[in-house]
Amino acid sequence: MGTFHNDKSELHGITVVVDTKGAKVFVGRCDDMDDASVILLDADEHEDGKGGKSKQQYVERAAKFGVWKKHERLVIPRAEVASVHRLGEVFQAVHGGTVANAVQPAAKVIAEPKPAAPPVTKDANTIVTLTPNAQVEVKRLLGDEKPGAGLRLSVKGGGCSGLVYKLEFDAKKDGDVEIPYAGFSLFMDKKSTIYLRGITLDHQKGLQGKGFVFHNPNASNTCGCGESFSV
Amino acid sequence: MPYPEQMVEPMRAELTSAGVKELRSGADVDAFMADKPGTSMIIVNSVCGCAAGGARPGVKLALRHAKKPQRIATVFAGQDTEAVQKARGYFADVPPSSPSIAIFKDGELVHFVPRHAIEGRGPEQIAQDLTKVFDEVC
Repeated sequence: MGTFHNDKSELHGITVVVDTKGAKVFVGRCDDMDDASVILLDADEHEDGKGGKSKQQYVERAAKFGVWKKHERLVIPRAEVASVHRLGEVFQAVHGGTVANAVQPAAKVIAEPKPAAPPVTKDANTIVTLTPNAQVEVKRLLGDEKPGAGLRLSVKGGGCSGLVYKLEFDAKKDGDVEIPYAGFSLFMDKKSTIYLRGITLDHQKGLQGKGFVFHNPNASNTCGCGESFSV
Repeated sequence: MPYPEQMVEPMRAELTSAGVKELRSGADVDAFMADKPGTSMIIVNSVCGCAAGGARPGVKLALRHAKKPQRIATVFAGQDTEAVQKARGYFADVPPSSPSIAIFKDGELVHFVPRHAIEGRGPEQIAQDLTKVFDEVC
Protein backbone atom coordinates (compact mmCIF):
# COMPACT_ATOMS: atom_id res chain seq x y z
CA MET A 1 0.00 0.00 0.00
CA GLY A 2 2.96 2.27 -0.40
CA THR A 3 5.79 3.60 1.69
CA PHE A 4 4.76 3.55 5.31
CA HIS A 5 7.47 5.67 6.88
CA ASN A 6 8.80 8.50 4.85
CA ASP A 7 9.84 10.48 7.91
CA LYS A 8 13.43 9.50 7.12
CA SER A 9 15.52 9.85 3.99
CA GLU A 10 15.56 7.12 1.34
CA LEU A 11 18.97 5.91 2.51
CA HIS A 12 17.76 5.29 6.06
CA GLY A 13 19.09 1.95 7.28
CA ILE A 14 21.55 1.58 4.42
CA THR A 15 25.31 1.41 4.95
CA VAL A 16 26.84 4.32 3.07
CA VAL A 17 30.17 5.91 2.22
CA VAL A 18 30.19 9.62 2.96
CA ASP A 19 33.11 11.32 1.29
CA THR A 20 33.95 14.83 2.40
CA LYS A 21 35.51 17.73 0.57
CA GLY A 22 38.44 17.38 3.00
CA ALA A 23 40.68 14.45 3.90
CA LYS A 24 38.08 12.41 5.76
CA VAL A 25 35.74 9.70 4.55
CA PHE A 26 33.10 8.02 6.70
CA VAL A 27 31.34 4.65 6.48
CA GLY A 28 28.26 3.91 8.55
CA ARG A 29 24.58 3.13 8.53
CA CYS A 30 22.60 6.14 7.37
CA ASP A 31 20.04 7.21 9.93
CA ASP A 32 18.87 10.33 8.17
CA MET A 33 19.92 12.92 5.66
CA ASP A 34 18.55 16.38 5.05
CA ASP A 35 19.72 19.80 3.87
CA ALA A 36 21.71 20.35 7.06
CA SER A 37 23.49 17.07 7.73
CA VAL A 38 24.03 13.39 7.13
CA ILE A 39 23.58 11.31 10.29
CA LEU A 40 25.39 7.98 10.51
CA LEU A 41 25.06 5.21 13.10
CA ASP A 42 27.75 2.66 13.99
CA ALA A 43 30.21 4.62 11.87
CA ASP A 44 33.92 4.47 11.16
CA GLU A 45 36.12 7.20 9.71
CA HIS A 46 39.37 7.32 7.80
CA GLU A 47 41.74 10.13 6.91
CA ASP A 48 43.34 10.07 3.49
CA GLY A 49 46.84 8.56 3.66
CA LYS A 50 46.58 7.45 7.30
CA GLY A 51 48.19 4.05 7.83
CA GLY A 52 49.40 4.20 4.23
CA LYS A 53 45.85 3.88 2.93
CA SER A 54 44.17 6.30 0.58
CA LYS A 55 40.48 7.03 0.90
CA GLN A 56 39.79 4.74 -2.04
CA GLN A 57 41.81 1.87 -0.57
CA TYR A 58 40.00 2.27 2.74
CA VAL A 59 36.59 2.21 1.05
CA GLU A 60 37.48 -0.86 -1.01
CA ARG A 61 38.50 -2.71 2.14
CA ALA A 62 35.34 -1.55 3.91
CA ALA A 63 33.31 -2.84 0.98
CA LYS A 64 34.85 -6.29 1.31
CA PHE A 65 34.61 -6.74 5.06
CA GLY A 66 32.61 -3.89 6.63
CA VAL A 67 33.89 -1.54 9.30
CA TRP A 68 34.51 -1.59 13.04
CA LYS A 69 32.46 1.19 14.54
CA LYS A 70 34.25 4.12 16.14
CA HIS A 71 31.14 6.24 16.61
CA GLU A 72 27.67 5.21 17.79
CA ARG A 73 26.23 8.30 16.08
CA LEU A 74 27.92 10.83 13.88
CA VAL A 75 26.51 14.06 12.46
CA ILE A 76 28.33 15.27 9.33
CA PRO A 77 27.45 18.80 8.19
CA ARG A 78 26.06 18.69 4.67
CA ALA A 79 28.35 21.55 3.63
CA GLU A 80 31.35 19.24 4.16
CA VAL A 81 29.85 16.35 2.17
CA ALA A 82 31.16 15.72 -1.35
CA SER A 83 29.26 12.51 -2.05
CA VAL A 84 27.14 9.78 -0.49
CA HIS A 85 27.15 6.25 -1.93
CA ARG A 86 25.78 2.91 -0.85
CA LEU A 87 28.66 0.72 0.37
CA GLY A 88 26.81 -2.20 -1.21
CA GLU A 89 27.37 -0.63 -4.64
CA VAL A 90 31.09 -0.58 -4.00
CA PHE A 91 30.91 -4.18 -2.76
CA GLN A 92 29.21 -5.29 -5.97
CA ALA A 93 31.75 -3.40 -8.05
CA VAL A 94 34.66 -4.96 -6.16
CA HIS A 95 33.22 -8.45 -6.61
CA GLY A 96 32.34 -7.72 -10.22
CA GLY A 97 35.92 -6.77 -10.94
CA THR A 98 35.44 -3.03 -11.38
CA VAL A 99 35.80 -0.86 -8.34
CA ALA A 100 33.35 2.00 -8.25
CA ASN A 101 34.88 5.32 -7.43
CA ALA A 102 33.04 6.08 -4.21
CA VAL A 103 35.56 8.74 -3.31
CA GLN A 104 35.26 11.69 -5.58
CA PRO A 105 35.60 15.44 -5.31
CA ALA A 106 32.33 16.23 -7.10
CA ALA A 107 29.49 17.32 -4.83
CA LYS A 108 27.33 14.38 -5.80
CA VAL A 109 24.72 13.14 -3.38
CA ILE A 110 22.57 10.25 -4.44
CA ALA A 111 19.56 10.74 -2.20
CA GLU A 112 17.13 13.58 -1.89
CA PRO A 113 16.27 15.25 1.42
CA LYS A 114 13.29 13.74 3.20
CA PRO A 115 9.85 15.23 2.48
CA ALA A 116 8.19 17.27 5.18
CA ALA A 117 5.50 15.62 7.31
CA PRO A 118 1.96 16.88 6.64
CA PRO A 119 0.74 19.67 8.92
CA VAL A 120 -1.80 18.14 11.29
CA THR A 121 -3.31 19.47 14.49
CA LYS A 122 -3.43 16.68 17.04
CA ASP A 123 -5.16 16.02 20.28
CA ALA A 124 -2.53 14.68 22.69
CA ASN A 125 -4.84 11.81 23.61
CA THR A 126 -5.44 10.73 20.03
CA ILE A 127 -3.96 7.35 19.25
CA VAL A 128 -4.00 7.73 15.47
CA THR A 129 -4.64 10.81 13.38
CA LEU A 130 -5.88 10.62 9.79
CA THR A 131 -5.12 13.66 7.67
CA PRO A 132 -8.00 15.11 5.60
CA ASN A 133 -6.46 13.54 2.47
CA ALA A 134 -6.38 10.13 4.13
CA GLN A 135 -10.00 10.46 5.29
CA VAL A 136 -11.17 11.34 1.77
CA GLU A 137 -9.34 8.37 0.28
CA VAL A 138 -10.62 5.94 2.93
CA LYS A 139 -14.19 7.10 2.29
CA ARG A 140 -13.71 6.73 -1.45
CA LEU A 141 -12.37 3.19 -1.08
CA LEU A 142 -15.01 2.24 1.48
CA GLY A 143 -17.69 3.10 -1.05
CA ASP A 144 -17.25 -0.38 -2.51
CA GLU A 145 -17.30 -2.20 0.80
CA LYS A 146 -20.20 -3.70 2.77
CA PRO A 147 -22.21 -1.38 5.05
CA GLY A 148 -20.68 -1.28 8.54
CA ALA A 149 -17.17 -1.83 7.27
CA GLY A 150 -14.51 0.49 8.61
CA LEU A 151 -10.79 0.85 8.34
CA ARG A 152 -8.77 -1.54 10.48
CA LEU A 153 -5.23 -0.55 11.35
CA SER A 154 -2.97 -3.04 13.08
CA VAL A 155 0.65 -3.94 13.65
CA LYS A 156 2.08 -7.37 12.95
CA GLY A 157 5.49 -8.91 13.44
CA GLY A 158 7.53 -9.10 10.25
CA GLY A 159 9.27 -6.97 7.69
CA CYS A 160 12.89 -6.00 7.87
CA SER A 161 12.59 -3.66 10.84
CA GLY A 162 10.55 -6.03 12.94
CA LEU A 163 7.03 -4.63 12.78
CA VAL A 164 4.76 -3.92 9.83
CA TYR A 165 1.61 -1.87 9.54
CA LYS A 166 -1.49 -3.54 8.17
CA LEU A 167 -4.44 -1.67 6.67
CA GLU A 168 -7.66 -3.43 5.71
CA PHE A 169 -11.37 -2.88 5.57
CA ASP A 170 -13.19 -4.79 8.28
CA ALA A 171 -16.14 -4.75 10.69
CA LYS A 172 -15.78 -3.87 14.35
CA LYS A 173 -14.72 -6.77 16.60
CA ASP A 174 -15.07 -7.32 20.34
CA GLY A 175 -12.44 -5.41 22.28
CA ASP A 176 -11.61 -3.06 19.42
CA VAL A 177 -10.69 0.56 20.03
CA GLU A 178 -12.88 2.66 17.72
CA ILE A 179 -12.14 6.17 16.52
CA PRO A 180 -15.11 7.70 14.67
CA TYR A 181 -14.54 9.85 11.61
CA ALA A 182 -17.15 11.47 9.36
CA GLY A 183 -18.60 8.59 7.33
CA PHE A 184 -16.54 5.73 8.75
CA SER A 185 -14.76 4.41 11.85
CA LEU A 186 -11.18 3.40 12.43
CA PHE A 187 -10.77 0.10 14.33
CA MET A 188 -7.69 -1.12 16.18
CA ASP A 189 -7.11 -4.10 18.43
CA LYS A 190 -5.76 -3.08 21.83
CA LYS A 191 -2.37 -4.69 21.37
CA SER A 192 -1.70 -2.71 18.21
CA THR A 193 -2.51 0.60 19.91
CA ILE A 194 0.68 0.20 21.97
CA TYR A 195 2.69 0.62 18.80
CA LEU A 196 0.37 3.02 16.99
CA ARG A 197 0.00 5.80 19.57
CA GLY A 198 0.89 9.16 18.07
CA ILE A 199 1.10 8.13 14.43
CA THR A 200 -0.40 10.08 11.55
CA LEU A 201 -1.78 8.39 8.46
CA ASP A 202 -1.62 10.52 5.34
CA HIS A 203 -2.48 9.86 1.72
CA GLN A 204 -0.38 11.26 -1.11
CA LYS A 205 -1.69 11.48 -4.64
CA GLY A 206 -0.12 12.27 -7.97
CA LEU A 207 2.76 10.78 -9.93
CA GLN A 208 5.19 11.27 -7.04
CA GLY A 209 2.61 10.28 -4.42
CA LYS A 210 3.07 7.14 -2.42
CA GLY A 211 -0.51 6.27 -1.47
CA PHE A 212 -1.06 5.79 2.26
CA VAL A 213 1.93 6.98 4.27
CA PHE A 214 2.58 6.60 7.99
CA HIS A 215 4.45 9.16 10.06
CA ASN A 216 5.47 7.47 13.29
CA PRO A 217 7.21 9.65 15.88
CA ASN A 218 7.78 6.60 18.10
CA ALA A 219 9.67 4.50 15.58
CA SER A 220 13.29 4.19 16.71
CA ASN A 221 14.20 2.45 13.50
CA THR A 222 12.59 2.27 10.10
CA CYS A 223 14.05 0.98 6.92
CA GLY A 224 14.41 1.75 3.26
CA CYS A 225 12.18 -1.06 2.07
CA GLY A 226 9.23 1.10 3.09
CA GLU A 227 7.24 -1.56 4.87
CA SER A 228 8.42 -1.91 8.41
CA PHE A 229 9.56 -0.17 11.54
CA SER A 230 10.70 -0.85 15.07
CA VAL A 231 10.09 0.95 18.34
CA MET B 1 16.62 -4.86 24.38
CA PRO B 2 15.22 -8.03 22.82
CA TYR B 3 11.96 -7.83 20.92
CA PRO B 4 8.90 -9.67 22.21
CA GLU B 5 9.33 -13.31 21.26
CA GLN B 6 5.93 -13.42 19.53
CA MET B 7 7.17 -10.76 17.11
CA VAL B 8 10.38 -12.61 16.40
CA GLU B 9 8.98 -16.10 16.08
CA PRO B 10 7.88 -15.73 12.43
CA MET B 11 11.37 -14.52 11.54
CA ARG B 12 12.91 -17.55 13.22
CA ALA B 13 10.38 -19.84 11.55
CA GLU B 14 11.14 -18.42 8.11
CA LEU B 15 14.55 -20.09 8.28
CA THR B 16 13.85 -23.11 10.49
CA SER B 17 10.94 -24.13 8.24
CA ALA B 18 13.51 -24.37 5.44
CA GLY B 19 15.56 -26.86 7.45
CA VAL B 20 17.99 -24.39 9.02
CA LYS B 21 19.02 -25.44 12.52
CA GLU B 22 18.60 -22.71 15.09
CA LEU B 23 21.39 -22.29 17.64
CA ARG B 24 20.05 -20.64 20.79
CA SER B 25 23.06 -20.89 23.11
CA GLY B 26 26.84 -20.69 23.03
CA ALA B 27 27.00 -24.43 23.65
CA ASP B 28 24.77 -25.02 20.61
CA VAL B 29 27.18 -22.97 18.48
CA ASP B 30 30.27 -24.76 19.76
CA ALA B 31 28.65 -28.13 19.14
CA PHE B 32 27.71 -27.08 15.60
CA MET B 33 31.21 -25.77 14.83
CA ALA B 34 32.91 -28.79 16.40
CA ASP B 35 31.79 -30.86 13.45
CA LYS B 36 34.52 -29.49 11.17
CA PRO B 37 34.89 -31.74 8.11
CA GLY B 38 33.01 -30.52 5.04
CA THR B 39 31.10 -27.30 4.58
CA SER B 40 28.85 -25.35 6.89
CA MET B 41 27.03 -22.03 6.94
CA ILE B 42 25.82 -19.77 9.73
CA ILE B 43 23.22 -17.11 9.03
CA VAL B 44 23.11 -14.24 11.52
CA ASN B 45 19.40 -13.47 11.44
CA SER B 46 18.13 -10.04 12.42
CA VAL B 47 14.94 -8.17 13.23
CA CYS B 48 16.10 -4.70 12.38
CA GLY B 49 17.45 -3.26 9.19
CA CYS B 50 16.51 -3.17 5.58
CA ALA B 51 18.52 -6.25 4.83
CA ALA B 52 16.90 -9.00 6.88
CA GLY B 53 13.66 -8.90 4.91
CA GLY B 54 15.57 -9.91 1.79
CA ALA B 55 18.15 -12.12 3.46
CA ARG B 56 15.77 -14.76 4.82
CA PRO B 57 13.91 -15.48 1.57
CA GLY B 58 17.23 -15.19 -0.26
CA VAL B 59 18.72 -17.93 1.89
CA LYS B 60 15.62 -20.08 1.42
CA LEU B 61 15.88 -19.74 -2.34
CA ALA B 62 19.59 -20.55 -2.28
CA LEU B 63 18.95 -23.70 -0.26
CA ARG B 64 16.97 -25.12 -3.19
CA HIS B 65 20.22 -25.20 -5.16
CA ALA B 66 21.73 -28.62 -5.86
CA LYS B 67 25.02 -27.72 -4.21
CA LYS B 68 24.84 -26.27 -0.73
CA PRO B 69 26.70 -26.48 2.59
CA GLN B 70 26.35 -29.77 4.41
CA ARG B 71 25.35 -28.15 7.70
CA ILE B 72 23.34 -24.94 7.93
CA ALA B 73 22.49 -23.07 11.10
CA THR B 74 21.30 -19.67 12.27
CA VAL B 75 21.70 -17.42 15.28
CA PHE B 76 19.46 -14.44 15.99
CA ALA B 77 21.17 -11.09 16.59
CA GLY B 78 19.69 -9.01 19.38
CA GLN B 79 17.73 -11.98 20.70
CA ASP B 80 20.06 -14.87 21.47
CA THR B 81 23.01 -12.76 22.52
CA GLU B 82 25.24 -15.51 23.87
CA ALA B 83 24.84 -17.65 20.75
CA VAL B 84 25.54 -14.68 18.46
CA GLN B 85 28.62 -13.66 20.42
CA LYS B 86 29.94 -17.21 20.28
CA ALA B 87 29.21 -17.50 16.55
CA ARG B 88 30.98 -14.21 15.85
CA GLY B 89 33.99 -15.64 17.65
CA TYR B 90 34.36 -18.04 14.72
CA PHE B 91 34.71 -15.09 12.33
CA ALA B 92 36.28 -12.64 14.74
CA ASP B 93 38.37 -10.88 12.09
CA VAL B 94 35.26 -9.66 10.33
CA PRO B 95 33.43 -6.59 11.68
CA PRO B 96 30.08 -7.66 13.14
CA SER B 97 26.95 -6.91 11.17
CA SER B 98 23.49 -8.39 10.93
CA PRO B 99 22.06 -9.92 8.95
CA SER B 100 25.18 -11.58 7.63
CA ILE B 101 26.20 -15.00 6.38
CA ALA B 102 29.39 -16.95 7.08
CA ILE B 103 30.44 -19.98 5.06
CA PHE B 104 33.06 -22.41 6.37
CA LYS B 105 35.03 -25.25 4.84
CA ASP B 106 36.63 -27.73 7.21
CA GLY B 107 36.03 -25.25 10.01
CA GLU B 108 37.77 -22.33 8.26
CA LEU B 109 35.88 -19.22 7.19
CA VAL B 110 35.98 -19.16 3.38
CA HIS B 111 33.28 -16.59 2.55
CA PHE B 112 31.44 -13.87 4.40
CA VAL B 113 28.44 -11.85 3.24
CA PRO B 114 28.24 -8.65 5.31
CA ARG B 115 25.03 -6.72 5.85
CA HIS B 116 25.91 -4.04 3.32
CA ALA B 117 26.13 -6.68 0.59
CA ILE B 118 22.53 -7.63 1.34
CA GLU B 119 20.96 -4.18 1.81
CA GLY B 120 18.75 -3.10 -1.04
CA ARG B 121 19.06 -6.42 -2.88
CA GLY B 122 16.19 -8.74 -3.62
CA PRO B 123 15.97 -12.39 -2.50
CA GLU B 124 16.78 -13.59 -6.04
CA GLN B 125 19.97 -11.52 -6.17
CA ILE B 126 21.03 -12.67 -2.72
CA ALA B 127 20.30 -16.28 -3.64
CA GLN B 128 22.27 -15.90 -6.87
CA ASP B 129 25.31 -14.64 -4.95
CA LEU B 130 25.06 -17.48 -2.46
CA THR B 131 24.63 -20.24 -5.02
CA LYS B 132 27.68 -18.94 -6.87
CA VAL B 133 29.67 -19.39 -3.66
CA PHE B 134 28.07 -22.80 -3.02
CA ASP B 135 29.22 -23.93 -6.48
CA GLU B 136 32.76 -22.83 -5.71
CA VAL B 137 33.02 -24.08 -2.15
CA CYS B 138 30.68 -27.05 -1.70
